[in-house]
Amino acid sequence: MSTATEIHYLEDTNLGPKAGGLYRRQNIFTGLAVGIISGFIGWLVSHALLQSSNWGTDMVVTVTMASWVIGFNAGMGTFNAPFRWLRGKDQTHEDELYAAGVSQGGWRYWKYCTDHKVVGTQYLVFVMALFGVGGALAMMIRTQLITPHSTFLDPETYNAIVTIHGMTMIIATIIMVSGPFANFIMPIMIGAKDMAFPRLNAMSFWVIFSAVPPLMATFFLGGVDAGWTTYAPLSVQAPAAMDAFAICIITFVVSVTVAGINTVVTIMTMRAKGMTMGRLPIFVWASMVGGALGLYAMPAFLLDMSMMITDRATGTSFFVNQVGGNGWLWENVFWIMGHPEVYVILIPGVGAILEICSTFARKPVFAYKVAIAGFVGIASLSIMVWAHHMFTTGWAPLLAGPFMVTTELISIPTGIIFLVIVGTLWKGSIWTRLPMYFAYLFLWNFIIGGVTGIYLSDVPADQYFHGDMFVTAHFHYTLLGGAMIGATAGVCYWFNKMTGRMLDEKIGKVAFWFIAIGIQVTYFGQFWEGFQGMPRRVAYYDPIFLHANQMSTAGAYVLMLGWLIFLYAMIHSWRNGEIAPPNPWHARTLEWLIPTPVPLENFLVDPVVTEDPYGYGDTPPPGQLAPFAEPEPEREPELVPVGADASASDGGSH
Amino acid sequence: MSSETHDHDAGRVGGPEHDGLEHAGHEIDNYLSGKPFFSRAGGKIFIIWLPMTAVGVLISLFLPHHIFPALLSNQGTDVFETMVFFSILAAPVAAIVYAVGIYSLVAWRPKKHNMSEPPPDGAPQRGDGPLTTIWLVASTALVLVLLVWGITVWSAQQVTHSNTLVVKVIGQQWAWDFQYPGTSVVSHDLMLPVNRPVEFQITSEDITHGFWPVNLGVQVDANPNEVTIIRATPDRMGKFTVRCSQLCGLYHAFMYSPGDVVSSQQFANFLVAQGAKPAAAARLAETQPTISGLSATVAGS
Ligand SMILES: [Cu+2]
Repeated sequence: MSTATEIHYLEDTNLGPKAGGLYRRQNIFTGLAVGIISGFIGWLVSHALLQSSNWGTDMVVTVTMASWVIGFNAGMGTFNAPFRWLRGKDQTHEDELYAAGVSQGGWRYWKYCTDHKVVGTQYLVFVMALFGVGGALAMMIRTQLITPHSTFLDPETYNAIVTIHGMTMIIATIIMVSGPFANFIMPIMIGAKDMAFPRLNAMSFWVIFSAVPPLMATFFLGGVDAGWTTYAPLSVQAPAAMDAFAICIITFVVSVTVAGINTVVTIMTMRAKGMTMGRLPIFVWASMVGGALGLYAMPAFLLDMSMMITDRATGTSFFVNQVGGNGWLWENVFWIMGHPEVYVILIPGVGAILEICSTFARKPVFAYKVAIAGFVGIASLSIMVWAHHMFTTGWAPLLAGPFMVTTELISIPTGIIFLVIVGTLWKGSIWTRLPMYFAYLFLWNFIIGGVTGIYLSDVPADQYFHGDMFVTAHFHYTLLGGAMIGATAGVCYWFNKMTGRMLDEKIGKVAFWFIAIGIQVTYFGQFWEGFQGMPRRVAYYDPIFLHANQMSTAGAYVLMLGWLIFLYAMIHSWRNGEIAPPNPWHARTLEWLIPTPVPLENFLVDPVVTEDPYGYGDTPPPGQLAPFAEPEPEREPELVPVGADASASDGGSH
Repeated sequence: MSSETHDHDAGRVGGPEHDGLEHAGHEIDNYLSGKPFFSRAGGKIFIIWLPMTAVGVLISLFLPHHIFPALLSNQGTDVFETMVFFSILAAPVAAIVYAVGIYSLVAWRPKKHNMSEPPPDGAPQRGDGPLTTIWLVASTALVLVLLVWGITVWSAQQVTHSNTLVVKVIGQQWAWDFQYPGTSVVSHDLMLPVNRPVEFQITSEDITHGFWPVNLGVQVDANPNEVTIIRATPDRMGKFTVRCSQLCGLYHAFMYSPGDVVSSQQFANFLVAQGAKPAAAARLAETQPTISGLSATVAGS
């Protein structure tokens, strides 16, 4: 056990020629092929049977898109294991090792791979691609708005772009932290060898992957002209693109639900010995609260979109006022999903920021338990505030007061987040490496996003600002300036653990300044538009809004440049970066105590945890976990506790 | 910044043997230590905080004048005053966070240290002291102030007046129609008499639109098969724009109408010019000075 030559790495296992069974033949190309063929068959059949009926086109698009999703996942291998199990056979150990990527090298990233680190990396690249698409659409919007009556886009295309920009970014931001980091990093942080449900983990990625082609197909099916909120009854009348949009969302909900269950169950059941709930790194808590909140929120989205499809394809009229339905039903169910959803996006990002603040201030997370209470408080209140999105819809005016109360109460747990960050910085020893740059930017932006949210929570003020650019600026400050900057800080922090190479900080800092300034200019321009009274989602505008729009567009170009430079830093570092040591930040959470690159199943010896990972200034730093590091003679080679060895940490542990 | 380094060391004292409770006591000791206030971190942060708060308050007081359009109703005034008041309340809170952030970069960043190695650990404060309680109490108090303000203003807006002018608003893709019950007038322009409470009864002929007479500071959606209601009292004469605040399809951007708050006499003239009978027009334009606080010197009627 004590010398390196005896270590048996799982990834070096020699597998038999039949290990993996059908998985051996499956990869992204078989997925695409089966998906396309299946979609085509779905189209043929539904076209032949249904096209002549009243709602034929909607039926055909729905069936075709659903067939694509099912076909793609069948071709990928999502259903292999359940089918084998139904046939009375189970996966052998060799099959599972194959599914975890053993003996496939880099090819495993293109396959249905159950290793949580592969899934995390897949998510990271996928999220970057989604941001690329969403960002390009954003730039088209801002380019259109350089002048009041631009001919760059026609209004039909413009509306379609506004919708898909919104939805692409919502999908990307929901998974930007819970995908890469809650998959790659979180299991290591709690001392687990993988997620609780590795196959579901792979499924969550490939299902969300299959959700995106229907979203992009909307551009070729007439475009969704109703905004990402797709308010009924406009969306019920929208072109067939809306059916593809709905299938995208339903697929997306399946993925997020599966991922949420996996995250929560993993944290509940897979913690290492001694990793009590009170010793969990704060990011793990944030991931769990975010995942659990997603489990509450997402089914409402599935319900809403399912009713949308039946309204459009079968005439159920849940949402059509003229025939007994009500658009307010759509709006209610949508926001019952939609408001918790912003915290599903935000809380894991905040968790990453708190982790980073602790590491780079060389201090414990300040008021750790209060921070957890803050997360739980935000999550609990967030399910009771949805109707603040409906203050000006005319629905239930008597409820404006109660919803104003619940909404403003959220400021209290949100304020805790500021307390925790400020307290963690207080008399810290600030190490200004790149992740910390973004942590400060988060702090700056999130104050602005928070304060502007208070105006909007006030019903009389919301009666002015609702539906105008002020709202757009506000939620971009919270979701881009807050959550996405949190995710970016996470990339800067964990990139080396995930890729084995250091992220280039010189290029990263150049990107930082473009991003930081770009955000302020872009969204102050939009606040200005909002004060002046410019509605959202307009392709043309009154010339009185000209200067504010030009400011916003100029900022958007700076911001785009910043993200492109950041992307360059990532790609450049991934290919040619300096090889990363296991613990470049001298941090104390478990992921830093194992080697980089992380071996399959992470820990060859189960870690035993004796205290929380925030003993800065209190207890000596932990060593690398045996048996990877040079064993230190005075320490037990097998079970090196995290934090410090037992005798030194006696008094310090709680 | 040698004094700060001192604070550091002070924070380290006790180290491993201290449990949470003793840390708390330690923080208080630190706070009460004999050093003059302005040479402690808290005092220096206060010096950063004070001007930032002052600037925030000044911005809150003067910027809204310049970026809001002319607000022509008492509801518009409510919006304006809410923005100013909330901004003034937010300024000191935002300034605390920013002041600590700035100070941490200036004073707590070890000088001349090799960036590839971490600086020495900071003070092991776990936040068990009274600060958390103070923060929670203060933020709860602030929220209560916001709520009392918001609910008071909102309730005041719900009061109905006896001499209310009813205007029916009909949204459709992509235009607004305004009807004045009691006359046959249907107009694309929204004409309103000054100092007369108005009740808008809004509906839609097709899909959801957002009725937003911008400068009146109110808005509500126009839903098919539903009538939604908002009230406002225009208290200044002037032109404004009615916009659509809810994406409503292809020409959403072009769904706007001119609006004008005019004197009663001009309003009556407008109705007559649109085909209303003079008697009916006079009745609609009649203003009774029943609203307290408003100057009721209205010509005509
Ligand atoms: Cu409209």
